[in-house]
Amino acid sequence: MPTAKVLGGITAAIILGAIVTIFYFLPESGAAQLMRKAFHLGWPGGLIIVSLMLYFQFWRTNDPRRGELVFKSVIGLLGYSMLFIAIANYATNFNDESPGVPGEPRFLPVSLVMFTVACFTMAMYFKGVRVLLQIGGFMFFVAAGLAGFGNWLPQVKADPPPVEEKTADVRQMSVQERADLGEKIIFGAVGASGTQGAIGKGQCPLCHGFQKGFLSERAPNLFGVPTRALERIKDPRYSQADPSKRDTVQKEACPGCGTAKTAEEYIAESHVCPNCYVVAGFGVKGTNDRESPMPAIHKPPIALNFDEFIAVDTWLFAREGQDPPTPEEIENAYKKFIPQAEWPKPAGAPGTTPAGPVPGAPVATGDEPVNQIFVKALCFACHTIPGIQGAVGVVGPKLVEGTNAPKRIKDPNYKGHATTTREYIMESILTPSMYVVPGFPDNVMPKDFGKKLTAAAINKVINYLSQLQEGKEPPKIE
Amino acid sequence: MATITKQARKKIWAFLALGTFVGLLLLPLFLSLPAGAGDTPAPAASTDAKPVEKSRDVWYKTEGPVIGAPAPKTTDSAKDYPRYNFESRVILWVALQQHLYYGSFVLAVPIFCMIVEYLGVITKDKALSRKYDQLAYDFVKISLTAYSITALLGGIVIFTFLTLYPTFFGYLSSIFRPVMATYALLFIAESGTLYIYYYAWERMREGFLKWIHVAMSVILNVIGTVLMMLANSWIAFMQSPAGVDADGRYLGNVWHVIHTTLWNPINVHRLLGNMAFGGGVVAAYAAYRFLTAKSDEERAHYDWMGYVAMFIGICFLIPLPFAGYWLMREVYAYRQQMGITLMGGLLAWLFIIQAVMIGALFLTANYYLWQGMDRMPGAERFQKYIKYMVFVLIMCFIVWLTPHTMVMTPAELKAMGGQQHPVLGNYGVMSAKNGAINTIITTTVLSFIMYQRANKIPTVKWAPYGNAFLFGLFTMAYVNIIWLAIYGYYIPANVRVGLSVPQVASTLSCLFIGVILNSIMLKGAKDVGPIVWGKISVRGQYALIMLATSFTWMMGLMGYIRSSVRLFWHVNEIMRDNSPWAFTHTIGFGANMISFNVLFFWLTILFVFWLGALGVRKAPATAPVGQKVPAPAGSR
Repeated sequence: MPTAKVLGGITAAIILGAIVTIFYFLPESGAAQLMRKAFHLGWPGGLIIVSLMLYFQFWRTNDPRRGELVFKSVIGLLGYSMLFIAIANYATNFNDESPGVPGEPRFLPVSLVMFTVACFTMAMYFKGVRVLLQIGGFMFFVAAGLAGFGNWLPQVKADPPPVEEKTADVRQMSVQERADLGEKIIFGAVGASGTQGAIGKGQCPLCHGFQKGFLSERAPNLFGVPTRALERIKDPRYSQADPSKRDTVQKEACPGCGTAKTAEEYIAESHVCPNCYVVAGFGVKGTNDRESPMPAIHKPPIALNFDEFIAVDTWLFAREGQDPPTPEEIENAYKKFIPQAEWPKPAGAPGTTPAGPVPGAPVATGDEPVNQIFVKALCFACHTIPGIQGAVGVVGPKLVEGTNAPKRIKDPNYKGHATTTREYIMESILTPSMYVVPGFPDNVMPKDFGKKLTAAAINKVINYLSQLQEGKEPPKIE
Repeated sequence: MATITKQARKKIWAFLALGTFVGLLLLPLFLSLPAGAGDTPAPAASTDAKPVEKSRDVWYKTEGPVIGAPAPKTTDSAKDYPRYNFESRVILWVALQQHLYYGSFVLAVPIFCMIVEYLGVITKDKALSRKYDQLAYDFVKISLTAYSITALLGGIVIFTFLTLYPTFFGYLSSIFRPVMATYALLFIAESGTLYIYYYAWERMREGFLKWIHVAMSVILNVIGTVLMMLANSWIAFMQSPAGVDADGRYLGNVWHVIHTTLWNPINVHRLLGNMAFGGGVVAAYAAYRFLTAKSDEERAHYDWMGYVAMFIGICFLIPLPFAGYWLMREVYAYRQQMGITLMGGLLAWLFIIQAVMIGALFLTANYYLWQGMDRMPGAERFQKYIKYMVFVLIMCFIVWLTPHTMVMTPAELKAMGGQQHPVLGNYGVMSAKNGAINTIITTTVLSFIMYQRANKIPTVKWAPYGNAFLFGLFTMAYVNIIWLAIYGYYIPANVRVGLSVPQVASTLSCLFIGVILNSIMLKGAKDVGPIVWGKISVRGQYALIMLATSFTWMMGLMGYIRSSVRLFWHVNEIMRDNSPWAFTHTIGFGANMISFNVLFFWLTILFVFWLGALGVRKAPATAPVGQKVPAPAGSR
């Protein structure tokens, strides 16, 4: 016990010394803030322990165990402080969902390690509850390991799709614009069809391959489908002559099924009635290709509407250099196979504003709150932007420009013309290749934001980004 | 007229008492049935009534009359989602998880009691019989306090639901009204049975009354299991709804609503999971009592109790992956996208954590067995093999947890030249992982066979042939598993999937043939010395605590995965979650929450243990140190 007492005393002295030093020399540091928070949370209990210590020291002068009791009070205070620092850390970092990129460690599991240390330290001196404290400490240790592992893995936060995603009138778009929209619905972004793992609202790449020669095990590779479709409808299993002879589990009414005459009609039928004809080898296991694992795309959870079908099918044709069917032909093809009662509601219904790109029109006018501008311009997809829900992208750098911009302007590799934070942000938006942050690829960020955003919108973005400081709360969104 | 003996009269009264008891239990259920929505809807009151609107079931595709209102379309408002200054989903998450932990425990423990009490009744050795009976009593005693906490937490869950998700809860209860009423009645029946079962233990200790007591444990478990299945029907409905049309309108068939496509796989998975979890908790209790024991007798008793609980837990852990496989297969059959989101999409990294935990569980189980060999004289001759087994297990563990692809920053991606490491990525593919996990399980079986033999030397005449067969069996299994793992690299993925079947067959052959053959060989074997219960290192007890904590964490993890796969739906594809918390959290946040729930549960259950220990006035009826005590296969 004497050795333990000496060790405990030295430890307590070191810790108290460290606390005083931090408060005196680094009063605004993170550690000092954490301790202040811990004090606010746990001072009543601490006061009781200190009172006990004083009571033992000054009122139980004749008690032979006085020294031991005072010593245990000190140890208790130490353990108690550590517990509350751990709790304060837990509370501070509770909502931290940063992607865990280098330089931004996620500190929450550290609390569990602190609990472990506190438990084992106190177990050395409090015999009555020693086993409980040791078991508790051990469990904290196991939980810390598992939580730490979970925090070390790549962090992805998935936002739900917008409630009402209305597209602009695709009939007014050029073929290329329609195809671009189709690509966005399938892969999440224009130009993303070559990116592995890119998935949009349509969710098609979860199962289908789209590149030539790509091994597609879950569902047929859709490369070449406009040509192959004409072969499929001649397949005896398609039974074009007499659809009633088809061997399928399809139970629901499908008015025109089995009567596709064109490639577009075949594609439309496949989308809305996947069970009507299953490509050999891709049926649900054990059904002998009588049932498809694919959901009907016009129903939840994917629920594309006619405009979106037009865009998607246009892309399927256009990307192979084929002339796509007209929007009317595509819509009529779908209407042939979907019962009228199930027709998706038309896009641009009264009271809704189109979210999709209207040709020539800016995607954000500047009238909307800044968080909506980030969403409409899709900044959130690639950048982490503190204060903007869902903006946790890691393709581009984190946009804490209040901290970053001054440093970058001073970077010897910086060849731009900006001299202030605002100018730097403006330059980065309009001419992204002027300065590429080390570690990130060039030519990924679109260079046409000058056309997509109005001056008012860009101004709002600059106002917001220039206020973002590393380690500080983001400003309130107006 | 034949006279009725006193004994026979007693039996008749006992039967009558049991019959009345069961009748009273079932009466409220029987009375409640007409009140609920039956399988067939009520006919129209009169011929001139409005024509009944019909609609189609989203899952069964049958037509039925529209009885309920459509699923509400909620908005992010205080009406649909009243809130405190905190994420409502997290509050509900904690309340539900705690309720589930306690619920699982109090449902699992009576099953243990039933098995152990039955063993006590059929055992002819009176000392052993008393010991089993005492163990069963100890089990139910632990669960009694936990039962009250479960009920309390159930109340908290309902209040949390009502106050934070009133619209959603209103919709669910409008569909499940008869099920919820039945659930409440069954809960009362369960409580009554449990208390009678516990408090009547002493009075019904002997003779025919003991059989009645055992029968009561069967009733208790039947009610408990039905309760669990009813609760499962709600979550299964949320994940794979049936019995409603595409707008969420109830179509009058309550069986369809309960019996959704994922209901039975979830039932089986949860039942097995509860047992493994219950085993873990009881083993941790025994470890706690062992570590605080004041005498050798106490240590011997709790060492034995920990072993039995761990053994039962592991027995139920082994079929658990198969039940999980069935559940996942049904998920894929229901919605392929849902399956891919789980296994190859957003939630796939959580399965990497699960893989790490499974590896750690097996390592710990092996460690416990090796520590347990300290109790057995003669085990020294096996010690020299342990270091090789450790090596094999660690190597397999490393392969098992190596991910195939990494999500990286662009700079990291550039530095490594792709998402897959040029060398390590090869160990992350399924072929290598299948080989690794099968080798881990086979090595664990080998550890158990060593444990069985630790203090025994087979004396049957054919022992050399038996040994040779065992040697050949394990050698062939290892060769087959590793060879197929290597061969898998050279064939297409769809063929490779099939290789797991012969690999698992090798592992299961070792498990069943190896353990059974070894047990037969050890009949009448020469004892090197008796097992000295209580002579196990403290580290061994910590291995039990590690197992218990890991079970708890894994349960939290799997529950989180199952629940979050609904993504932004309250009821999949029927009722959308429009609260501000409809997004899916990061893995790190999930891991932190799981750790919080696990630790909160253990802090409270340690309190329950402490309470349980307070109630012990006398030392348990234990055999003296070194005396033969009952235990599962191979432990004697």
